[in-house]
Amino acid sequence: MNNPANPVAKDNDGKSIWRFFLTELKPKGKWLTPFNIISIPVILLGLVLIVIRFWKGIGSITNLSQEIPWGLWIGFDVVTGVAFAGGAYVLTFMVYILRMNKYHSIVRITVLNGFLAYVFYAGALLLDLGRPWNVINPIIGNSFGTSSVLFLVAWHFLLYMLAELIEFSPAVAEWLGAKRARKILSGMTIAAVIFGITLSTLHQSGLGALFLMAKDKIHPLWYSEFIPILFLVSSIFAGLSMVIFEGSISHKVFFNQISEKNHKAQDGIIHGLSKICAGAMFAYFFLVLLVFIHGKRWDLLSTPMGYWFLLEMIGFVLIPMLLFFYSYRRHNIFMIRLAAILTMLGVILNRLNVTVIGFRWDATVHYVPSWMEIVVTLTVIFTEIWIFRWVINRMPVLRESPSWVKEEK
Amino acid sequence: MSLDRRNFFKTISVAGLTLAVGKSSKAAPPKGSEIEFQGILYDSTRCLGCRACEQACAESHNLPVPQDELVPGVIRKTSETQRTVVNKFITSKGEVLVKKQCMHCNEPACAAACLTQAMYKTKEGPVIWREDKCMGCRYCMVSCPFDVPKFEYHSANPKIQKCDLCYDRIIKGEVPACVEICGEALTFGTRRELIAEARKRIAEKPNDYIDQIFGENVAGGTGYLYLSPVPYNELGFNTNLQNTSYPALSKGFLYSVPSVFVLLPPLLLGIHEATKNNQPNEEENE
Amino acid sequence: MDGFTYNNIFDTKGLEYLVIIAFFAVLILFWIALNKQVKIRKRIQKTLDSITANALKIPQGLFFSENHTWSHLGRSGVAKVGLDDLLMHITGEVKFKTLKNQGEKINKGDLMAEIDQKGKILRIFSPISGEIVDTNPVLTNNPELLNEDPYQKGWMYEIKPTNWIGDTNSYYLAGEATNWIEKELEMFKDFLSISIGKLTPSSPNLILQDGGQLTDHILSELPDEVWQQFQEDFLSNTDSGAKHRNLM
Repeated sequence: MNNPANPVAKDNDGKSIWRFFLTELKPKGKWLTPFNIISIPVILLGLVLIVIRFWKGIGSITNLSQEIPWGLWIGFDVVTGVAFAGGAYVLTFMVYILRMNKYHSIVRITVLNGFLAYVFYAGALLLDLGRPWNVINPIIGNSFGTSSVLFLVAWHFLLYMLAELIEFSPAVAEWLGAKRARKILSGMTIAAVIFGITLSTLHQSGLGALFLMAKDKIHPLWYSEFIPILFLVSSIFAGLSMVIFEGSISHKVFFNQISEKNHKAQDGIIHGLSKICAGAMFAYFFLVLLVFIHGKRWDLLSTPMGYWFLLEMIGFVLIPMLLFFYSYRRHNIFMIRLAAILTMLGVILNRLNVTVIGFRWDATVHYVPSWMEIVVTLTVIFTEIWIFRWVINRMPVLRESPSWVKEEK
Repeated sequence: MSLDRRNFFKTISVAGLTLAVGKSSKAAPPKGSEIEFQGILYDSTRCLGCRACEQACAESHNLPVPQDELVPGVIRKTSETQRTVVNKFITSKGEVLVKKQCMHCNEPACAAACLTQAMYKTKEGPVIWREDKCMGCRYCMVSCPFDVPKFEYHSANPKIQKCDLCYDRIIKGEVPACVEICGEALTFGTRRELIAEARKRIAEKPNDYIDQIFGENVAGGTGYLYLSPVPYNELGFNTNLQNTSYPALSKGFLYSVPSVFVLLPPLLLGIHEATKNNQPNEEENE
Repeated sequence: MDGFTYNNIFDTKGLEYLVIIAFFAVLILFWIALNKQVKIRKRIQKTLDSITANALKIPQGLFFSENHTWSHLGRSGVAKVGLDDLLMHITGEVKFKTLKNQGEKINKGDLMAEIDQKGKILRIFSPISGEIVDTNPVLTNNPELLNEDPYQKGWMYEIKPTNWIGDTNSYYLAGEATNWIEKELEMFKDFLSISIGKLTPSSPNLILQDGGQLTDHILSELPDEVWQQFQEDFLSNTDSGAKHRNLM
């Protein structure tokens, strides 16, 4: 956590870029913050586990089986993590396409979040691969499996990371004082945004489409031909809920960086986002209802899995949706944050239901993630937060851009 | 490779037509190369349960020969060290034997799922796994309706194990190891021949078989065909599987990808332009 | 699928993806080309250099004619003529050709010079009648003097006038000249609006709101058609009154 007594970082002003970068590498702030105390041992343990995984095979630290080949790392890290990173495409759509400038101040941090999420979850994916060194095969063209949805998803991840990098790069250029570079990169923003939104639409739904062929293996209450659309719609409110959640935390942690104007705007932003979430979840709920009717699944409701389904839909979709609705009308920021947390839990639940819990739910030995898988997942998340914190403490993400930017406009 | 103008226009017009005419049109088989799928017919009534097939399979693929006993009602599965398994089921008509392994579907879900084309449907019929391409993502395992591919979870360089119909022997003109050593139960030939043979057997001895060839239609048709005296669900087969190909399930999504890619950017550009007049002093970011 | 031979329902996917990638590249070019003229419009809009009437040099004692030439009667009775600052700021770097030589007679309204910028030509008509005493050798060797110092070192001709008072009767002097230049600037802005409107596909109700300033050397960005229209509206024969006031 940043010590408020520390001064806010400054951008490079005339120094050579390389020297500036080297001085910026020095750590800022205290070492023994609560977060550090928890995360450092976990990360170290995770690294040890990762070494074991590469030495002795995936089975040595996971509980995956021949019947359930995808577990926590895919179901949570990749599928759910990417859904939460969906805030970036929704927000850039709102700000750059629909020109809702009210939200402009949080675009950078959301894009940063999205970029880091994709980088780390793609990284986590490498851990899950049996032969990660062959991951370049579908990239360099040794073998293009174009019939595969996973091929599409993998390529989209790569291209989307590139688009997000371009969207975020003006902040890096501002930090390094590279004026011309910033100008060029800003010119590319709208193209990167449009590219990013198109890619996101396809890979958020693509993650759902991955499971289309597993028709007989996923529980009927969660399997349908509409999984891609459901995943796409839920990624909207998943992403925005994450923006609310993470925004609330960052706002407190990096308090001293944020300008007076942005402080005041924070509540209005959260309030506005809650409206959008309510609307998206409303649509989603009815979509699920339609799919349910279409599949004629009434009988299944009275089974244990049926109750689980009802819990997910009512407890974690309908109720947070009503909560967003109510707290939007009452302008209750605390309730909005609560609704966001419930929504996020609901999305985690939904994604895990489709990919892990509902997948071969009838298998003799059911899959439960091992503690080692959980530690590695936490390692990935904590490392991502470390990098996130490093960037925010240096680059103009939450704080104002350097003055020469305004002169150019 | 130089592309002269005529070839260029040909390629472009073919590409254009392909997109325009519709993706549902089937690819016409190339002339003169009408290679037909080959497969294996397993006749349960002729199986002795000797498990020589398990042994021959293990020996020809450097796998450990299975040592355990065949116990009626104890169902064993294929694994990362065993590509085929013979089980004895206790059914309505007594003890019935059945051999299980990869079904070598006509349109395999695993091959469609594989993003590196490591799982590959050969023109001759067998679905093979190509080691040099595989990255171990296990998407084939997720997609296979028969749960066939098995992964070496405890290896640092894991393989996928499954029956490959002894492809390397087939292209040399030989028969698969299990067929060669088996007496009666296994027959190797083109799928067309095998189905005809199976029908013949059912017609000749209708009391010995139920009137269904498992594999004729399931998952859109498979290379491995089964004859059985009892309904297949009593032999551990999932008879709720669809009779159309599994890759067709992701067809709807994959076919709509180009449309979204082509329509969404102009739509977004259009909205971007349309909202421009709300803020005349906006800095243009084109 | 006949069930007996190889069939791949996704066999065209690879080609489709390639076409999609090509589509993106072409879309960017397409979009830029579609909006291209807009860039010139925006350059005009941005204020980098501003030309106000106050920024222009308007020396007193010079007679300014409608077609942007000036005349000054020296003590010796020989007049110098040249081109005015506004014209030079509007056009930018030009080459020029004097068409009359020493000793030739010239009448007010005769073609005396041409200025040329990459093939776009403007014709300059003489503001007074008389006999050409001299052309400016310094200017011939240093045409940039036209822009840098149009009223002193950048003079074009020395003419012994035959009808000084009559010729310069209707010309602008001192304070009137300043007023006139300001009005010409406004006229020019309108002219620009209309010209740009003809050039770009989008609406011409744009650009130069009240108080909008011009960039320097604006005509250098614009095509030949605009130069010809400019010639007609602003530089025509001195006698044809308020031609460009019919701009609407």
